[in-house]
Amino acid sequence: MKKKLSEMDYNEQGTVTGIEKDLRKRVAGMGIRVGKELRMVTKQPIKGPVDVVVDEAETSLGLDMAGKIVVEVTK
Amino acid sequence: MKILLMGHPNVGKSVFFNRLTGANVTESNYPGTTVDYTKGWMKIEGGDVEIVDVPGTFSLDPKDRAEEVAVAMLHENRDAKVISVIDASKIERGLYLAMEIIEEGYPMVIALNMRDVAEDKNIVIDADRLERILGIPVVSTVAIAGEGIKELVSRLKEAKPVNVDDIIANAANASDTTGAADAGGAA
Repeated sequence: MKKKLSEMDYNEQGTVTGIEKDLRKRVAGMGIRVGKELRMVTKQPIKGPVDVVVDEAETSLGLDMAGKIVVEVTK
Repeated sequence: MKILLMGHPNVGKSVFFNRLTGANVTESNYPGTTVDYTKGWMKIEGGDVEIVDVPGTFSLDPKDRAEEVAVAMLHENRDAKVISVIDASKIERGLYLAMEIIEEGYPMVIALNMRDVAEDKNIVIDADRLERILGIPVVSTVAIAGEGIKELVSRLKEAKPVNVDDIIANAANASDTTGAADAGGAA
């Protein structure tokens, strides 16, 4: 099932399938690129950032950025 | 000779700096900003070498003042060598920045710092193989314990600019043999 990263639930895991073009370079430096496995660990209320774990390393993304990343959710 | 310590924030650049230099350090603001950096000197094989502790940056396209300073310092010192300090437990991100600096033609050595922290997370990095792929010295270190620092310094002279195409070719060859994707991803 495909979902935006901003819509993922706690502990959901998936593979990145699409990133909006203008964002690709910005998130590449955070270890997020198409084909990468990630797990959503926390999101903050009131349009706060989304925390994900990629390759055992945690990183957080603004909600607007997370809305531009599409993830194929596996579990 | 000048050496720039570069890497993400909180990877241990300043610990390296303190280990490498003695008491004779200068802390100053980068002209026109409130971003400060430290520089100091050390002796390598009898010669004085200037070491600069560059502010941490995530990439070479800056997103705040401190990152702007880091990038400006890199570009002002075209003849400098770079010690790229990478958090071994977050290696892909670190290599992304390292690759950006390599692309600009700087001679580099890589310090895979916090090896102990990475091992606690069950991350073991084959530094020799990474070294073969990148064509520059890669040294595993634990800067706060002083591990690997001597080796890093002794290998500084092997730092040289490398061509990104060569790295891509090496990465392709390396993945043919055992198929691990530990380093190929960043190239």
